[in-house]
Amino acid sequence: MSVIVKEAEAIMQSAAGFSEATVRAHSAARGEPEWMLNFRLEAWRLFEALPWPKATDEAWRRTRLTGFDLTRFKPVVIPAAEGKKSELSTLLQEELDEMESAASIVFEESELRNSVTRSPLDSQGVIFLDLQSAVHQHADLVRKYFMAEAVKPGQNKFTALHAALWDTGVFVYVPASVRVTLPLQVILNQSSEGVGGYHHTLVVTEAGAEVTVVDDLLGARDGLQASVVELVIGDSSVVRYMNLQDFDHSTWNFLTGRAVLGRDADLRWIQVSWGSRLTKAFLDVELSKPGGHAELLGIYFPIGNQHIDHQTLQIHRAPHCFSDLLFNGALKDKSRSVYMGIIQVLPGAQKTDAYQRNGNLILDTSARADSIPGLEIEADDVRCTHGATAAQVEEEYVFYLMARGLTRAQAERMIVQGFFQAVLDRVPVESVVHKLERVIERKIGG
Amino acid sequence: MSVLEIRNLHASVEDREILKGVNLTLRSGEIHALMGPNGSGKSTLAYLIAGHPHYVVTEGDILVDGESVLEMEPDERTKVGIFLAFQYPVAVPGVSVANFLRTAVSNVRGYTAQKAVAEGRGGVIGSNLMPMREFRKELNDKMKEFNVDPSFARRYLNDGFSGGEKKRTEVLQMAMLGPKFAIMDESDSGLDIDALRVVSDGINKLATSDRGFLLITHYQRLLNYVKPNYVSIFYEGRVVMTGGPEVAHMLEEKGYGWVEREFGSEAVVA
Ligand SMILES: Nc1ncnc2c1ncn2[C@@H]1O[C@H](COP(=O)(O)OP(=O)(O)OP(=O)(O)O)[C@@H](O)[C@H]1O
Ligand SMILES: [Mg+2]
Repeated sequence: MSVIVKEAEAIMQSAAGFSEATVRAHSAARGEPEWMLNFRLEAWRLFEALPWPKATDEAWRRTRLTGFDLTRFKPVVIPAAEGKKSELSTLLQEELDEMESAASIVFEESELRNSVTRSPLDSQGVIFLDLQSAVHQHADLVRKYFMAEAVKPGQNKFTALHAALWDTGVFVYVPASVRVTLPLQVILNQSSEGVGGYHHTLVVTEAGAEVTVVDDLLGARDGLQASVVELVIGDSSVVRYMNLQDFDHSTWNFLTGRAVLGRDADLRWIQVSWGSRLTKAFLDVELSKPGGHAELLGIYFPIGNQHIDHQTLQIHRAPHCFSDLLFNGALKDKSRSVYMGIIQVLPGAQKTDAYQRNGNLILDTSARADSIPGLEIEADDVRCTHGATAAQVEEEYVFYLMARGLTRAQAERMIVQGFFQAVLDRVPVESVVHKLERVIERKIGG
Repeated sequence: MSVLEIRNLHASVEDREILKGVNLTLRSGEIHALMGPNGSGKSTLAYLIAGHPHYVVTEGDILVDGESVLEMEPDERTKVGIFLAFQYPVAVPGVSVANFLRTAVSNVRGYTAQKAVAEGRGGVIGSNLMPMREFRKELNDKMKEFNVDPSFARRYLNDGFSGGEKKRTEVLQMAMLGPKFAIMDESDSGLDIDALRVVSDGINKLATSDRGFLLITHYQRLLNYVKPNYVSIFYEGRVVMTGGPEVAHMLEEKGYGWVEREFGSEAVVA
């Protein structure tokens, strides 16, 4: 099931920057079918045609790309030939061991390093495959869904770039009524420094299917990652998706994700943004059929000079849908966060029930959180609420806990952990909860 | 035998003097009721004993066994045996009763002063808290003893608790921390008769010879269940009268109007 590799390695490794030739070489190296090459070339033309974000664009007003130079990031090294596989690093082995998963796929750079299946997925018709292999083995399905239903190449500059140069990624397909109870775990460790990576997650579920997918994103020191997440959720299907971004604090990180929900579908999306020097994440949920239920939960904790920006869109197209968004972030040092969110209720989406909350806990006065919630409502029988808060650690909480014997440091630590708890309580995998708690602990640390 | 002594305590908040020379002594084994009208400064006194940073002591002292506690942080005061049951316990989002109490108990009992030992997989690495199993057992036992539903261990501190549940959880925390001096600030207010009985039973169980209680209350009601050795009347920032249980009865009969006529600033002038 691994990737077929051709010759172009030398060109790819030496060339910094990008051109159409880069795209052709990228595709050739992976031995891709012509339709994928054409898809990439089309996306490349789009990328060239689209303007770079400007400071005057609403989406980029608070998140500047000052200092970002795409040509500095080498396209990733070409996947190595079969047989070159070495042992997983202890870091990755630990990440793997920590979670009890149905199956796992590990990438290092753009190389598929490891793929283990512990449950009888194949016999149930479940596909859990690295995307490069899926392009070959499940061309019809991939062609039907890949950047076609949820995220389109032209959505923004980075999705176009991603479509032209995507490298690692997984394809998850769960047939009707099949339930995968344990999570499917994907780990990406972008281990070389200073390279660009383009990770793709494509999850497609048919009616009544259930699945949990975890993306664990690591490394990318001095690098770039422009990823795309697509969740295409069938009628009455239940999807739990966790995007755990823990890149190095020097990474430029751009994420565009969209979930499209069928009738009575049920989604819970956990977005964790720990790492990167700068993150700009566009996250959309689209309730396209009646009865959909979507929860979008996020946590972030920038420290130092980190800059984390989430821009969310809850699109209610159909009546009787529910969406609930909660993003909580703590900020330290001179870090900065931006949250922009819109609940969009289109005409005809009556009986919409939509919530949106963003809470910020400011731990240092030099940190800053901007929060811009918004509503665009074109139906009259709806219930929508939104709200944003920014506050410091409540002194009355500190006093109460200290009056019971906690030191100030312990009290503050507990209050910060507690602030994240509203989201942690809704993370469906216990080992993930523990892992997140440890990161929070470390970030409070000092 | 321990003694908590409040000596000529003057204190202000935002430049306004609230306490105007409080004198009060509480010994182990004593139950001392403090009664006074709204706004007379009872909670201010309680907060000051616990070390609330908002209030400024301008004169006088608070001593435990002869040592001043004024310079101590609130958590250091818990280590010398002071406990305050809040009139209005605050809800701390996301902090579970069990989680926070384990840390609190570990501090007060000196576990955290010891070197860390590794705890099991998935747990805290190098924890120096009271061992989880021991703590759980003790908490469960105490929850049973003090009529707190076991589900409260996992609930977030006072978050969505009813008035009665908050006060009961305060008593549970006191039981776990085992203080020498418990300041109960209106632990009876807002309780129905059943909850009042639970809370007063709890206090009675904990009223051992090695522990002193300062019961702040408005009403005689609590004192029907918990028998005080002394009753003091608090008025305009000071203790104006101290006696036996009969003082509470007198107050019940004559009302706070009498106190005002007898001890109010007007009365002093006249
Ligand atoms: N943090 C504060 N800031 C400003 N004023 C305060 C503060 N705390 C207390 N006060 C004032 O001090 C006075 C005494 O308040 P305190 O709460 O101590 O009274 P109390 O006797 O406990 O009343 P109650 O019976 O209503 O509980 C009141 O006038 C109150 O408004
Ligand atoms: Mg009071």
